[in-house]
Amino acid sequence: MPADPPVDPRGPRFAAWLTSLVLALVLLTGSWRLLAAQMLIFAMCAFISLQLNPYGQIYRRVVAPRLKPNSEREETAPLRFAQGVGFVFAAVGVAGYASGLTTLGIVATAFALAAALLNAAFGLCLGCEMFLLLRRFRTPAAQS
Amino acid sequence: MNTTGVIALAVALAVTLALGFLYKWRNGRVQAARKTTVELPERVQQILAASEGYKITLLQLSTTFCAPCRHTAAMLGQVAADTPEIRHVELDITDMPELATRLGVFRTPTTIAFDSLGRELLRVSGLPQLAQLRESLGTLLKSPGLA
Repeated sequence: MPADPPVDPRGPRFAAWLTSLVLALVLLTGSWRLLAAQMLIFAMCAFISLQLNPYGQIYRRVVAPRLKPNSEREETAPLRFAQGVGFVFAAVGVAGYASGLTTLGIVATAFALAAALLNAAFGLCLGCEMFLLLRRFRTPAAQS
Repeated sequence: MNTTGVIALAVALAVTLALGFLYKWRNGRVQAARKTTVELPERVQQILAASEGYKITLLQLSTTFCAPCRHTAAMLGQVAADTPEIRHVELDITDMPELATRLGVFRTPTTIAFDSLGRELLRVSGLPQLAQLRESLGTLLKSPGLA
């Protein structure tokens, strides 16, 4: 996994708003194709590069030039990890909707929406917080 | 329109708002000390042993990829610079999950204030609410029981 350079933290917040909007539309329409498109975005960000994120491109081309520049930069490893968590939920959601297990699709999408919206509206990155928790479970010797 | 989907959307929005406001309220608040009976981890004991001459040590537990940890470090560094009785130490626990478990720490940054005898005075999880933290530390420094 190539590393991404640190980013302006306002970019991921903006992306989280658009992700929330798309996931809300998925719940309203029940369209598994729309969820599959979002799943693809999650996958590209988590496994290839955050710079492929179309929401981030909108931010850099349209939004950022209108904002005051800031010097704050955020590490990208937890962001990519969080996109990976989003990918898992979206994948479960697509499988649910597409196979007729609509309830499963709805529940998975609702969880992904809650996580994206917590990030967008409150700056709470659930995926980032889980980064530390998961590290603990990855070290079995630590469970004494 | 998918009725179940609409209901799920409403529930998700309500839960998110509730969680979000709870997070905003709790994050960075000064909390009472945990009652710990277990011995402090050795690494923490070493840090406290090196704090001679200070009344309070602010031990900040951080992880490598953690933006609020950096903000917290800058804030607590300033608090320590303003207050000669207070020392600030940042410890990266990314590879020390056992230490986090023993201190009952589940997220970073978490800051624990210790007195010179290694007793926990208070703790803050998240970027501290500065005014509240300064007030609590000021009260502690004035209290006669502080060792």
